[in-house]
Amino acid sequence: MEVASGHNMSGHHHHHKHRREETTFDGSNYVKVEHIKVQGLDKTKNDFVVHQCKDLLKAATFKDVILSCQEVKQKLEQANIFKTVSVLIDTSKGPGVSKDGLDVIFKVKEGRRYSASAHTAIGNNEGSLVLGGKVGNVFGRAERLSLEYSRGSRQSTGYNLTFSKPVFNELSKRLTVQGFKSSGEYLLSSFREIGRGAYVDYTFPGPLGLQSLRWEGVWRELSCLTRASSFPVREQCGHSLKSSLKHIFARDTRDEPVCPSRGYLVKLSQEFAGYTGGDVKFVKGEGELQLNQYLFWDIVFSCSLQGGLMKAMDGNQARINDRFFLGGPTDVRGFNFRGIGPQDSGNFLGAESYWAAGVHLYSPLPFNPGKGRWGDLFRMHAFANAGNLCNVNLDNPNFPDQLRKLQENVRWSYGAGMLLRIGRVARFELNYCIPKAAQPTDSIVSGVQFGVGVSFL
Amino acid sequence: MMASLVEEAAQIHAQGLESNLQGGGIDEELELYQPFQKDQITLPEEVQCMAVKTLLHMCKIPFSLRLRANAENMSPSGGVPFIKVGPQIVSEFDPIVEYLDLKGISLSRELSGSQRSEMKAYMALTVNRLYSAEVYLSWCCETIANKVTKPRYGAPYPWPLNKLLPWYKQREAKKYLKVQGWLEKSQDEVYEELKMACKALSDKLDDQYYFFLDRPSELDALVFGHLYSLLTFQLIDDKMADIVNSFPTLTRFVERIQENYFIAPEMDDV
Repeated sequence: MEVASGHNMSGHHHHHKHRREETTFDGSNYVKVEHIKVQGLDKTKNDFVVHQCKDLLKAATFKDVILSCQEVKQKLEQANIFKTVSVLIDTSKGPGVSKDGLDVIFKVKEGRRYSASAHTAIGNNEGSLVLGGKVGNVFGRAERLSLEYSRGSRQSTGYNLTFSKPVFNELSKRLTVQGFKSSGEYLLSSFREIGRGAYVDYTFPGPLGLQSLRWEGVWRELSCLTRASSFPVREQCGHSLKSSLKHIFARDTRDEPVCPSRGYLVKLSQEFAGYTGGDVKFVKGEGELQLNQYLFWDIVFSCSLQGGLMKAMDGNQARINDRFFLGGPTDVRGFNFRGIGPQDSGNFLGAESYWAAGVHLYSPLPFNPGKGRWGDLFRMHAFANAGNLCNVNLDNPNFPDQLRKLQENVRWSYGAGMLLRIGRVARFELNYCIPKAAQPTDSIVSGVQFGVGVSFL
Repeated sequence: MMASLVEEAAQIHAQGLESNLQGGGIDEELELYQPFQKDQITLPEEVQCMAVKTLLHMCKIPFSLRLRANAENMSPSGGVPFIKVGPQIVSEFDPIVEYLDLKGISLSRELSGSQRSEMKAYMALTVNRLYSAEVYLSWCCETIANKVTKPRYGAPYPWPLNKLLPWYKQREAKKYLKVQGWLEKSQDEVYEELKMACKALSDKLDDQYYFFLDRPSELDALVFGHLYSLLTFQLIDDKMADIVNSFPTLTRFVERIQENYFIAPEMDDV
């Protein structure tokens, strides 16, 4: 594939300037990219690669060319369809080329299109085995098609078929379509949920951060785990169809997601269910904020705040599978997973509003063994976290009074422990927790608590 | 549709409270959960609910009727109706009979051993045959399934669940009939079975008031549930009602039970 730049006036202009400065070489000499060649394309479509290389033609100095080549190389690698990408820059050859002309040659090797994998994945409070097959570069424009089956340690199973493609050949804008089936058991709430559905998601970079727009349609089937499930849970059993529109905004400046040492995360999401069909109608908003500050000697101070509020729009209380839950080893520590808030005969029912906050002091292992190697996988931390989950009546005109409920009966705990990072997204935590304030019906863990998760308070 | 369901629920709730005032053998309030009667319940479910309600009336146990679109999913066994007494939940006719027996309430206490086993035999054989015929006609007779049963079963759900769930339920019904050996039968054969079951019951009843002795037994409640529903449930034709009607002994039996155990306004509603 070749891209040739059109001859233009500015090209000649650069030509003159260059002559005056030809004695020194600091990369600021003017050049003109005449040809871009990409060698090794087989399945990949020309227009896709042209789009990634386009900016290179605008490079006016040798430095620009180098930087721009680096960018293009990164883009091509990021597309995840090439096994190797190498760059070669040469002076233009052939008849009719200008003296400052450059040819850029990208040598690529397309990766295998079909792959199968078996790996373990970590979800919140659960590990699972994932078996999958993937087809990369399906139609030659970095599309991905994958089929995955997962089986979790807590009776959860699921499979999904996902297709995603860059929009307008732009790698940062991605359209994803997924069909899925999932099932999960919630022991402390004594119900099982099977969901079958599909979503369409468009993720693109906005001026402040990453934006996602998503439509989701799910047929949910709820059933009791045992004959002894409490009646408010039993009343929720049956089928429902949720069709919702969701917007997610995320701005993440952290240096890494699992054990960040600096930067912040802001995440806001709004969900509107029931306006596009289905029989579940609610409006839900959630927010998350995390700040990290490097202090000294690799010690990091981190604080986070989360909250959510929802309102059922069909006159009833929100369904149990739409409500918020709180508590758990990577959430409000010192409480069992989803073990805070309203309950009936031992079954936690969730609620329509919550907040949670936590402060951490992270440090490396004492005396920093294995620094730069395995030692970096471990951290120690001391923490204090608090939260509350309760129902507020948003129809009540005395709004501040309702929100005051969230200030009553605040649960909190503190403790210390060790954490181990797994890959780039998950971590194990082993903590000693001391719950300081709880309601008599809460399910608390006083002492050692073990947890694994992908999101943390 | 929702408005009529709510109305119906309120009305029946009020009646339930009334009948509750009479007092009964179980200390706590007994609640009976079933699907909505007007536009949701299917014939085989209606039969079961009617039988349990009759049983409770015969035992003079007051109850409040709770109508829930998801009654079937709430039931621990997946069958309607179910009763709730305090924290206890018991579903379907036979377990409810056993439960009441444990509480010292039984209609068949005064039957002799042989009478009791005869009753059990009738409940298992004849009544089972009626049930299979009802399931067959509701779900396997294409016109009835498509015009009555499926739309009713899917009524509480939005599209596409209102198509999917009845389809699943139909598959389940066919599986049940296959096990029973009924799936291969033709429609005429099923009507013939229905006729034979009615004849067996009519012969047993003869000119007596009830099936055994001078008092109602569980069999009476169960048979009434079936016959009353067959006579009154709105299907596209009256073929089933006509079969029952061809046995005057049985229609007189239905009228008698209705007069003795159901107050007039409640009957209008069901």
